[in-house]
Amino acid sequence: MRDGRNVIRRRRAILAGLIVTSVLLLTAYFGEGSDGGVLHSISSGVQTALSPIEEGVSRVFKPVRDFTSWVGDTITATGQNDELRAEVGSLREQLAASEVAARDAEQLREIAKLDRESGYPVDSNPVTARVILQPPTVWYSTIQIDKGESAGVEVDQPVVTAEGLAGKVTATTGSTATVTLITDASSAVSAQIMPKGLRGIVKPQVGDPDDLLVEFIEKDATIEEGDTVVTSGSSSSRFESLFPRGIPIGEVTDVDPAEQDLYQRVHIEPNADLRKIDFVRVLTAEPADEVGV
Amino acid sequence: MKTDPPALVRVTGIVVATVLLQVSGVGSIELLGGNFDLIPIAIAAIAYCAGSVPGAVTGFAAGILLDLMVGREVGASALPLIALGYFVGRYRELRDPAHGLTPVAVVAVSTAIYLVAAAAVAFMLGLDALISLLVVRDLILTVFLNSLLALPLFWLIGRMLRPSLHIDPFVRRRRRGRPIESGPIGLRGLEV
Repeated sequence: MRDGRNVIRRRRAILAGLIVTSVLLLTAYFGEGSDGGVLHSISSGVQTALSPIEEGVSRVFKPVRDFTSWVGDTITATGQNDELRAEVGSLREQLAASEVAARDAEQLREIAKLDRESGYPVDSNPVTARVILQPPTVWYSTIQIDKGESAGVEVDQPVVTAEGLAGKVTATTGSTATVTLITDASSAVSAQIMPKGLRGIVKPQVGDPDDLLVEFIEKDATIEEGDTVVTSGSSSSRFESLFPRGIPIGEVTDVDPAEQDLYQRVHIEPNADLRKIDFVRVLTAEPADEVGV
Repeated sequence: MKTDPPALVRVTGIVVATVLLQVSGVGSIELLGGNFDLIPIAIAAIAYCAGSVPGAVTGFAAGILLDLMVGREVGASALPLIALGYFVGRYRELRDPAHGLTPVAVVAVSTAIYLVAAAAVAFMLGLDALISLLVVRDLILTVFLNSLLALPLFWLIGRMLRPSLHIDPFVRRRRRGRPIESGPIGLRGLEV
C-alpha cells in the first residue's frame, strides 16, 4: 500500500517536474530576447546539425507532396477554368493599358531625373533556396531554407517566390535560415493598394493562408475587387517597411466597410501559394553571384 | 527511475524520426485540404503502450526537439504534449480497453486536444492576430486524417517497443485488465 502511494507521488512529481521545466524553459527563452542566448544557440546548433537530414527527408517526400498537390490542383482547376478564361480577357485589356502607362512613366521619370524605386533593390542579389522544413501548426507560419549566412542571408531580408512576397528572414545559421511568412501571426507588412496608392498594413488571419487583411485603410477610400496590393517600401515611422517597394503581395477579394469606425478592412488573396512553397528567393543585400540550389 | 538502454534507444529513435518526418516531409502533404500531424499519434501510441510517465516524458522530449528544430519558443510544444502523453497513458492504465479500434478513438481525441491545447499556449504567449474560422475546419480534417493513420502507426510503434514492454500489446485479451493505480504498465528498465 505504502509502495503504491510512493509510486503515485513519484508519478505526480515527474509530471509536475516536466511542466515546471517547460515553463522555466519558456521563461528563459523569452528572457534571452531576440539577440540570442544559450537556448537560441542550442536551437541554431540543432538546426545546423539536422539540416542535411531535413533536406534529404524533404527531397524524399517531394514526389508524394507533388502528387497530392497535383490531385488537389486538378480538382480545383476544373472549376476554375471558365473563371480564368474570363480573367484572361480582362487582363489583356489591362496589359495594353499598363504598357502605355509604363511608357509614359518611363518618359516622365527621365524628364524629372528620378531614380527607379520600384521592384527589387538595385544592389540586391536574389539567392535561390530550397524549403527544407514546413510549419508544424497553423499558429506559427515559419519555414526553414537551405541557405544561410554563408550565402549572404541575413536577418530581416525579404523573401519572395515567383508569384510575390513570401516573408522575411528572422533567424540564420551558417547553412540555414528561418523565414517568417506573411501569414504568421506576428507578421505586418506596409503596403499600397494600386492603382490608387492607398497605404495600409497587411496582416494575416491565422488559419487561413488564402486570406490576408489590409488594415488602416481610410473608410471613404474606394477600393475595387481585383485591385493589386504591393509592398510600399515606406520609411515613415508608422508604416516603416523592411521590404523594397513594388513587390506584389496579392489581389483584393473583398472589402468590409462597416467593421471599424475610422478604417475599413480589405481582404486580399496572396499571390504566392504559401502552403506549397518548394523554392524561394532571398533578396540579400550584398551584390554577389547568383547562388543556385 | 531505472534506465534501460534498449528501451531508451527505441523511444528516442521513434521521437526523433517522427519529429523529423513531420517537419520535413509529412506536414506539407496536403490531402482533402488538410494535413497529417504525426507527433500526437506517436506520443499517444507510446503512452498507450508504455503508460503515463513514459508518455509524459516522451511528450516533453518531442516538444522540446520540435521547438528547437523550428526555432520557436522552447517549451511551447512540450506543454500540450506532456499532457497528451500523460492522459493517454493514464487512460490505458485505468481502463485498459481491449477493443481493436480503441487506437482510432484515442488518436482522434488526442489530436483534437493537442491542437486545441497548442492554440491555447499560442494565445497565452501573446498571439496577436485575427483567427479564421478555417482553423476549425483544419482541426477537423487533421483529426480525420490522423485517425486514418492510427491503426498502422499504433501497430508499428507497438512492434518497435514490444521487446521493452511489460505487457505485450499484441496479445489479445477478452476483458480489460485490472486498473493500475500505482505503477506503470511500463517499459522494462524505465519503471518509476
